[in-house]
Amino acid sequence: MLQALQTLVVLAAAPLYAGLISRAEAVVQSKHGPSIWQPYRDLSKLLGKGRVISEHATVVFRWAPYVAMACFLLVSTIVPIITAQPLPLAFLADLIGGAFVLGLASFVLSLAALDTGSPLGGLGASRTTWIGSLAEPALILVFFTVGVLSASDNPYLMNHALAGSPAALALPTHVLGAVAFFMLLLAETGRIPIDNPAGTIEISMIEEPRVLEYSGRDYALIKWGGWIKLFLLSSIFMNVFVLPWGLGSATGLGSGLLGIAALGGKLLLCGAAIVIIDSSFAKLRFFRIAEYLGGAFLLALIGIVTSYVIGK
Amino acid sequence: MQSLSAASVPGVILDLDAVLILLSAFACLGSKLFDRYLAYYGAQSVLLAVAAGTVAFVQHSPALWILAGLTLLLKGLGIPLAARHLLVRRLQLKRDAGLAAGLSFSLIVGAALCTFAYLVAGQRTLAVGLVATAVVPLSTAVVLLGALTMVVRRHAVAQLIGWLIMENGVFLGAIVLTASFPFIVEAGILFDVIAAVLIMLAMVSGLAQQLGETGTSEMRGLAE
Repeated sequence: MLQALQTLVVLAAAPLYAGLISRAEAVVQSKHGPSIWQPYRDLSKLLGKGRVISEHATVVFRWAPYVAMACFLLVSTIVPIITAQPLPLAFLADLIGGAFVLGLASFVLSLAALDTGSPLGGLGASRTTWIGSLAEPALILVFFTVGVLSASDNPYLMNHALAGSPAALALPTHVLGAVAFFMLLLAETGRIPIDNPAGTIEISMIEEPRVLEYSGRDYALIKWGGWIKLFLLSSIFMNVFVLPWGLGSATGLGSGLLGIAALGGKLLLCGAAIVIIDSSFAKLRFFRIAEYLGGAFLLALIGIVTSYVIGK
Repeated sequence: MQSLSAASVPGVILDLDAVLILLSAFACLGSKLFDRYLAYYGAQSVLLAVAAGTVAFVQHSPALWILAGLTLLLKGLGIPLAARHLLVRRLQLKRDAGLAAGLSFSLIVGAALCTFAYLVAGQRTLAVGLVATAVVPLSTAVVLLGALTMVVRRHAVAQLIGWLIMENGVFLGAIVLTASFPFIVEAGILFDVIAAVLIMLAMVSGLAQQLGETGTSEMRGLAE
């Protein structure tokens, strides 16, 4: 029951979260900006439209949006979003497994971009894969930093370990890991220091060129998947790294609903942080991205080594 | 002598502070602009003053309080502001072009040095009864990173910053190893540093005016 509720919350609230962030960014820049319901309007418009598929496209291109969406939904079943007790399906994977599933989604989209043979798609696929290959080791190290504190790589147990000992939140290892994870969150979801989510200039796009060939309901699924990814990573960041409290227990629906309210509050904080970074930094030059991700890697590495010096 | 571990609040503050000092050394190693060097060095010195203040608070040592104040005033504010005035405003130094190695490469070497410092100065190798055993490997790492900064930079001022970072690491190690270090020795070191910085800045500005170049490879030519 809660399992279904959690996935439904992720599906329903992810566009709202994206809409809130883009509206807040517009307000910060003294613009009126789109309504916070704009992502829903986009979705319903795209879902109602027919699709155009290149005659050279193969089955890879046709199936990629569905596989990617399935990956995002799978991750939404295994991480703590609204409850602190492991859900029935949570045994499927730990955080590293979750990262692999997200990696699979990205891989499938890159394959689809290569499939039609459009030059821009190949460009996007190569750029995204390059960034992903640099972000992945850092991400695994970040999971190790929480791992040494909670002696586990299961997100629920990490959450429990932190909620049980708030002093651990001030440990250097944890602080470094949290900062590194936030840097990677921005990289993985294509936010400002890496990529401009509102950018319309094809030559500077990093993730967008991969999906320019899609239309209609396929494009809707891909858009939706991107918002779900942002939503999921933000909730993992808040629930596992920053504020491990306020999650419901697995016993009843009521506590799950309370958990949704708490999640809303936490995501507002995380969204505010993203908006501040989006509006105060410029996009990095492409070859500086390696240094940015190297910085995240370094933070996580120092965090881990520090844990051996300072202790838990 | 009271010992500080991660279990007490001052101990946690000291640990966090030492990690931030290490990060500012890394930030210095990973940047290319002269005003950034100075900003990171200033931030590191302010953090160092906080660490000295924490130890002074626990040990009730007035001499350490004075040292913390001097560090804050001279190294946290004095050197960065004076150097910024001279280098960035007057000499128009902006981007450091004289790097012997790429930034990413030097960061990786820095991470390796950091791990090395943890290995050689780990808790098992240290005597018991120190102020804070956890900070010793961190300060060793800062010393090594300062040395690395001197190695990978070719510009005299950038090497000077690396030397100052090394000195900060030594200072951090000194206050956590023996808080009862004679005051006059530490103060003497501090004033040595100030004098050296002043001489160095004067020389660099003189050289820059005469030669229009402050890379050390050019200076080596002067010796021959």
